Amino acid sequence: METDKLNRIAEEKSSIGPIEKVGTGLKTVMRLENLTKKFGSFIAVNNINIEVYEGETIGLVGPNGAGKTTTIKMIAKLLRPTSGKILVLNKAGKLQALNGNDKDLVRFGFLIDQPFFYDMTAYQILRYFARSQNYQKEKINSRIDELLKLFKLFKWKHEKVNTFSKGMRQKMGIIQSILVDPQIIILDEPQTGLDPKARIEIRATIRELQKLGKTIFVASHMLHEISEVCDKIALINNGKIVAFDTIENLEKNLKEKELHCQLLYPIPHKDLESTIDRINQKLEHYANHNIEVPTPEHNHSVKYNPEEQNFTIYYDGKRESRGEILEILMSEFKSNNKIISFSQPKTSKLEQIYLEMILEDQPRDGGG
Amino acid sequence: MQLLEKNEKYEQYYLAALPVVTTYIFELKKQWKKFVIFTIMAISFVILLSHLPYALIPDNPLPDTQADYFQSGLNFIILLTIFGACFFFSGIICSEYSEKTGFITFPIINKYKLVVGKYLGALTLMIGVIAAFYIALGVLGIYWYGGPINYRYYYSFGIALLYLIAVSSFVTFFSSFMKSVNMTIVTTIMLLLIANMIIDSLVILLYPEFEPIYSLNHNSQLISYILVEDFPTKLEDRYEDLEFRNFHRRIWLTPTIEGAITIFLLYTVICLIVAAIIFKRRQL
Ligand SMILES: Nc1ncnc2c1ncn2[C@@H]1O[C@H](COP(=O)(O)OP(=O)(O)OP(=O)(O)O)[C@@H](O)[C@H]1O
Ligand SMILES: [Mg+2]
Repeated sequence: METDKLNRIAEEKSSIGPIEKVGTGLKTVMRLENLTKKFGSFIAVNNINIEVYEGETIGLVGPNGAGKTTTIKMIAKLLRPTSGKILVLNKAGKLQALNGNDKDLVRFGFLIDQPFFYDMTAYQILRYFARSQNYQKEKINSRIDELLKLFKLFKWKHEKVNTFSKGMRQKMGIIQSILVDPQIIILDEPQTGLDPKARIEIRATIRELQKLGKTIFVASHMLHEISEVCDKIALINNGKIVAFDTIENLEKNLKEKELHCQLLYPIPHKDLESTIDRINQKLEHYANHNIEVPTPEHNHSVKYNPEEQNFTIYYDGKRESRGEILEILMSEFKSNNKIISFSQPKTSKLEQIYLEMILEDQPRDGGG
Repeated sequence: MQLLEKNEKYEQYYLAALPVVTTYIFELKKQWKKFVIFTIMAISFVILLSHLPYALIPDNPLPDTQADYFQSGLNFIILLTIFGACFFFSGIICSEYSEKTGFITFPIINKYKLVVGKYLGALTLMIGVIAAFYIALGVLGIYWYGGPINYRYYYSFGIALLYLIAVSSFVTFFSSFMKSVNMTIVTTIMLLLIANMIIDSLVILLYPEFEPIYSLNHNSQLISYILVEDFPTKLEDRYEDLEFRNFHRRIWLTPTIEGAITIFLLYTVICLIVAAIIFKRRQL
């Protein structure tokens, strides 16, 4: 019981807490502390805090321009943080800030943006990367073959990488990132440019790596691509982490249960306000009162979209309520508007959270 | 016990040097083709400029001595060094950024080690090209005049290498802040060939008495002038004054030996230090 409590305390303080989560043996391998990157006055990454435990797979998910690549480049020391710190596990088992003296850190693997390579053959390049990182000489050739086969590039082993297609180069990038068997693997959009089969292979590879106990940090703008392989998701938007939790917890926090109701004819403009008010009153009972409704302008549980003549109704998610809500709406629009469909949106719950969180965040001002 | 410690120490040095060595070897492989092309070019030019004119044209008199023969043959080495350095060294830092290639081994491997490996690799190949030129010309010198080779020819080779290192450091410096490899090649060739000459002529016009000791061009004259039997020790022997009607111009024949070596080393040290500082601050 005592440890439970301690655990909770440790969890609550996780961003500043001790290296080991008490009792669970979870070890921090990387920690981003108040990490900020400004380009001029433009804030690309805004004070983010992420703690990565050993063996975890973390998805950094956000729309284009959210700051994912910028974050990863700072970890790779390709960009200098404006402020904040990056701490990484070293060989002695302690967290160490990234600075000039990084040779003691555990091995990293990186895939950053779109990889380009020297004008050499796949084999020559991989061999060079492996050797320069002191990978065991005897094992290099078999390791290269193994990975080239895994990613179906073996045929092109002795071809120049410059002649490769975009997807093939992306595969080379992934091979290169896991080549020397690093403990922490950081992938930026590993699926770009790959065909569906290769995307599946990447997920399979990530699962394999998880089995080996690797810590994986993967950025993507497509939530569904990586959500199934991630233990935790960090949602990033406008440079800020808007949520960082397990998928389960994120889904639990799904703000509203939604219903969509499509009308055949639009509501006449003059009646609009009164109609919406009336429906709002009638549905008051079913609204989800626990959490704030994401319509900033008025705190109602019904939102009308005049262009598409449909309603979005936020309700408590109970099955009985759904039927009753339908009845109320049917009677309301019986005579002139006619309901033609009444449904729950199809996007996955997580996808919805993603959209919601991103929509909620104010668009940033100032350009980049 | 002690042996173990020694081993550990050895292991440490080995690990520290490994990225440099592997990058060095990789660079040799990467630029191999360029090396072959430049070597063939160097040897062809030697034959074209220093052999065929005497072999094919019957009345064309050979220079009086082997040293004179070398001196006239070595004029081309400056152009070869400039072009070679620009092509071999222009990508040394900027290609890593423009093509997002090498530094994927971040952050464990110190990026300086990679650049040092590349620099040494490219330098080795360029030394090979210059050596091929000297060997070809040397062989022809023996062919026309008989052996042995004038010992001053070896001095000339040494100075040519110093000049090469100065020029390649200059190119490396540009590579540290330029955006693309091609831009670096064009800019450095323009600067080394044309701008240098223009600045020199301007300075001579404005200050006719002043020796352009700062100039790589001026100092590079030592490569061939060192072959002169009694190398001038007095200042007034190192230039000629041209009087043409009322136009007066001073033409510098050679810098002093110490002066040229100092300037080459200064160029090297300053360019490499500035390049290192820019490189440290540069972001992708
Ligand atoms: N070198 C730079 N100079 C100025 N602004 C930059 C620079 N690099 C990135 N930015 C800006 O920082 C923001 C974040 O860019 P970043 O590349 O991190 O986005 P991302 O999340 O990786 O997006 P994507 O999904 O498109 O890859 C963008 O608005 C971009 O314009
Ligand atoms: Mg990106």
